[in-house]
Amino acid sequence: MTCDNKILLNDWHVVAEADLLAFGDVQRTVLFEEPVYVSRDEDGGITVRRNTADGAKLPLQEKYGFIWTCLGAPERDIIHVPEAFEPDRYLVSGGSFGVKVSGLRVVENFLDMGHFPFVHTGWLGEEPHTEVQPYEVELTKDDEIIASECYFYQPQASPTAEGGIMVEYTYRVYRPYTVALYKTNPTYPDRNDYIVLFVQPVGPEDCIVHPYLCYVKDGMEEDTLRWFMQLIFAQDKPILENQIPRKLPLDPRAETPIRADKVAILYRRWLRDHQVTFGTLPAVA
Amino acid sequence: MITLYDYELSGNCYKLRLLMSFLGVEFETEKIDFYPGLQHKSEEFLKLNPLGQLPVIDDDGLVLRDAQAILVYLASKYDSSGQWYPTGDPALLGQVSQWLAFADGITGTASAARLHDSLLYRHLDIDSARAGAHNLFRILDEHLYFAELDGQDWICPGDHPTVADIACFPYIMLSEDGGIPRMDYPAIRRWCDRFKRISGFVVMSGVFPAGPAPAKEAEQAA
Amino acid sequence: MTTELHSQWIPIASSSDLPLRHVYQAKLLGREFAVWRADDGYVNIWENRCLHRGVRLSIGINDGRELKCQYHGWRYANRTAGCTYIPAHPADAPARTICNNTYPAQEAHGLVWCGEQAVGEIPALDGFETATTLRPIPINAPRDFVIEALTCYSMADGCAGLVNEDGSVTVTAGDGSAVRLFVQPCDSNHSVIRGVVNRAAQGADHIALLRTHSQALSALRRKIEAQAAQLEALEPMSAPIGRVAEDLVDIPAASTDGRNADLRVQVAAKERTAEGIVSLRLEPLTGSRLPTFQPGAHIDVHLQNGLVRQYSLTNGPGETDHYTIGVKREPDSRGGSTAIHDSVQKGDVLAISVPRNNFPLRRDAVNTIFVAGGIGVTPLLSMARTLNSQNLGFEFHYFVQSDEHVAFKQAIGEFEQAASLHKGLSPDETVAVLRKVLAEPGHARHIYICGPGPMLEAARQVASNCGWSDEAVHFEYFKNTVELDDSNSFEIDLARSAVTLTVPAGQTILEVLRENGINMGSSCEQGACGTCRCGVIEGDVLHQDVYLSDSEKAEGKSIMTCVSRAKSDRLILDI
Repeated sequence: MTCDNKILLNDWHVVAEADLLAFGDVQRTVLFEEPVYVSRDEDGGITVRRNTADGAKLPLQEKYGFIWTCLGAPERDIIHVPEAFEPDRYLVSGGSFGVKVSGLRVVENFLDMGHFPFVHTGWLGEEPHTEVQPYEVELTKDDEIIASECYFYQPQASPTAEGGIMVEYTYRVYRPYTVALYKTNPTYPDRNDYIVLFVQPVGPEDCIVHPYLCYVKDGMEEDTLRWFMQLIFAQDKPILENQIPRKLPLDPRAETPIRADKVAILYRRWLRDHQVTFGTLPAVA
Repeated sequence: MITLYDYELSGNCYKLRLLMSFLGVEFETEKIDFYPGLQHKSEEFLKLNPLGQLPVIDDDGLVLRDAQAILVYLASKYDSSGQWYPTGDPALLGQVSQWLAFADGITGTASAARLHDSLLYRHLDIDSARAGAHNLFRILDEHLYFAELDGQDWICPGDHPTVADIACFPYIMLSEDGGIPRMDYPAIRRWCDRFKRISGFVVMSGVFPAGPAPAKEAEQAA
Repeated sequence: MTTELHSQWIPIASSSDLPLRHVYQAKLLGREFAVWRADDGYVNIWENRCLHRGVRLSIGINDGRELKCQYHGWRYANRTAGCTYIPAHPADAPARTICNNTYPAQEAHGLVWCGEQAVGEIPALDGFETATTLRPIPINAPRDFVIEALTCYSMADGCAGLVNEDGSVTVTAGDGSAVRLFVQPCDSNHSVIRGVVNRAAQGADHIALLRTHSQALSALRRKIEAQAAQLEALEPMSAPIGRVAEDLVDIPAASTDGRNADLRVQVAAKERTAEGIVSLRLEPLTGSRLPTFQPGAHIDVHLQNGLVRQYSLTNGPGETDHYTIGVKREPDSRGGSTAIHDSVQKGDVLAISVPRNNFPLRRDAVNTIFVAGGIGVTPLLSMARTLNSQNLGFEFHYFVQSDEHVAFKQAIGEFEQAASLHKGLSPDETVAVLRKVLAEPGHARHIYICGPGPMLEAARQVASNCGWSDEAVHFEYFKNTVELDDSNSFEIDLARSAVTLTVPAGQTILEVLRENGINMGSSCEQGACGTCRCGVIEGDVLHQDVYLSDSEKAEGKSIMTCVSRAKSDRLILDI
């Protein structure tokens, strides 16, 4: 199956981290099952090409430290992240990780708090504190999904947090393969730390996850940030890769939602309404 | 005080965290941004280890590299019971060394597959890495099956696990990261459960703890 | 796609692959299984995915009684595969219809046999009455290809192999030794060779025998795999994933199964467990399992004299092969307990309802305090056994008249360290003890109380005085002693059904609903058990039940339709 979703093909996707593309380097990657070559010449110039005989050039942007391309005709710009322009924040990539599961499953897991005590034991949650309190979910007029007032008890919410606290999250799904969270900063309760996942759809059951973090500097060390992100993400990874099926099922009767999954339920409906078929199993009529 | 130059997602570093936890040895960690920062290839790190590899320890000025070598060192120095690295019994010591070398083979295959799939080390030959790992897992599964029949819980004879178990465990447990399922290796899967129940066991990201062990009487009755 | 193979019994594991507290992973015809043996020996073969988010249960935890999913900690009971707990919503009882797919399992010849739709008997292995089970050999080759090749298996001189009707292969050697080999088709290009050899052996001889075959089969495997690698690769098999029940798509609704007695059970044992208390062990008439229950659940027992009574289950987690209830003789009651004490005998068949849980146990507390009085021990016993099995902290305070009145001593012995017996205390002394026991309310601390009315009232009062919030105090009354007022008439609007009905004086809401064909679950029908609870959207409620807490009553968002009524002229109900 190759991708025939215009909404996906005409969108920008991350295909490489700019810093990791050395002068004279050519990296092969895959986007929607199509091989793509990202290269930097000896003068520093970057190109992204298709794997065709003529090596047709693809559109390209460098933003947030990543190289972006689009296989179709870009219809809208890369998302705007205001936090990335605030000077008192660390802007850090989490390292790109290949995951053998639909990228949409990765997004759904990112929206989930219920697994914290079981998968991120001692960090983002701890038994017996397992309750997911009711939270708000809305589809905005900009066609984004926002889940707000999400509270969860965390023993070690961030590398610098001391002792357990009730943490507040806001989740935001910008696009099918782009999801972010805002989390109360432990030092400045009126500010949020921000993590976004740019998920590169490699195949319907394969993806590369490019996390990007914008954290308030004060009270935080830069190298700890990437370490913490990787620690957490590598805990999710075996769970994600043990999901059957590897595609995200859109049939409401494929899996069993509970109240805590309110945002996931909306996400799946929203994917269905946008006819996202790449990485999904369609609903059975 | 021991300093471990450590990367959270490295199975080789995890081996040392495991042993030091089993032995109750205190240590500090110096975090190395292995991926994507390639800090282990930095000029500064190369002074510690010219091979540019993790892990490295510094024990009061003694700098050592190579996971298996450090396991041997730490067990010899800090395990007064002599069980983790049994130097007193030549036959046993030979077997421990044999399986330590086997663990290097696992690193060369299962860990390589994991680097390819998860950390995008695309230059590695994934097919041969996976095939190589399966070949080793078949050998270990047969070995552990017959060990169990002999009433032996661990890779080497005796009632106590050795550094050979520690050296083999991480990249077996993380093999699915490299697209290497363990369904075909039931004796390895049972050994993994037993390993996780060793007192002092700690997890790393990607490794889940085991459930409670059965009562001894119940186990024997079953 | 279903083939003939789906209806065959096929070995998928060796018995020795299933030690206690382990989860084995298997695959048959493209479908994965999580296979685990409970501490009681029962072999569970389940679809290898949690119903919630599809995560493989083979990476989960077998705690001896239940299987716990690694992702969100959902728990599934031994035998039934019914979900017993959803940690994200600790105050809820999961709908009992959340149940994983189970597949038939049999153990014979040292092998575990399964078949997605297995019918008939597992093969009789004539000539293998004394046998040794071989080490399984996984192989990357298609089943049929392996079967063909196995006829050439040579373990000694003069071997001859033939394919049996069931696809297994028998190889006989000149010296009379024989093996029967089965090929488990995991997927189109992936199989496992399993088998038995017609010789029992002990000790070193046993190991040598197994080693010989393991090596010979491994050698054959190398050949087969080399040949199979030349074959055209087949498409992987697909095993369609079943859909969950329609009522699980949305948030589970209240049970709508009325006051039915769907189950028939046999009284397998009737014992005196304490002065004036008998315990009944109820077992299914057929099969080996009863529906999944959760701690705190009760069943309706339909007695031979037409009475219906509610009894709490005392079982620990995963005990789905029987239910145990405790019944106290109440000489001044209407005859339910007397009937059980005097008339019900071992061997009798009783009609019971499926378990309902209106007294769910939260498992997200750092400490839980149980306060049991007399026969009120029964639901709390099941709860305490659950927390004990999960290593969660709790105290168990049991108030009784005397030592002779202590019921279920053996079960309480499971958590001896947490149990305190308070014997022969006067009401004042009871309150004094409760003041000490309930002295420290706090975050993630909960109290569960069950016992006679006056004691329960006292405990609730003490808890309230000590500063416990209503949300942290959970209780269950045996019966409702409130004097019921049914003198007014009012209207009910059913919001979801868009129907308006009149409840006249002398009738209950529940009765009016039933008369109008609206099925509402119920059990005790006296405002004690909580089964007929219904949401209230608008209107003032005259609460006459003992189920809701004071703050829930004040909030006015729920009503027990069997006893409570409207204060206002009209109620809008969420039905």
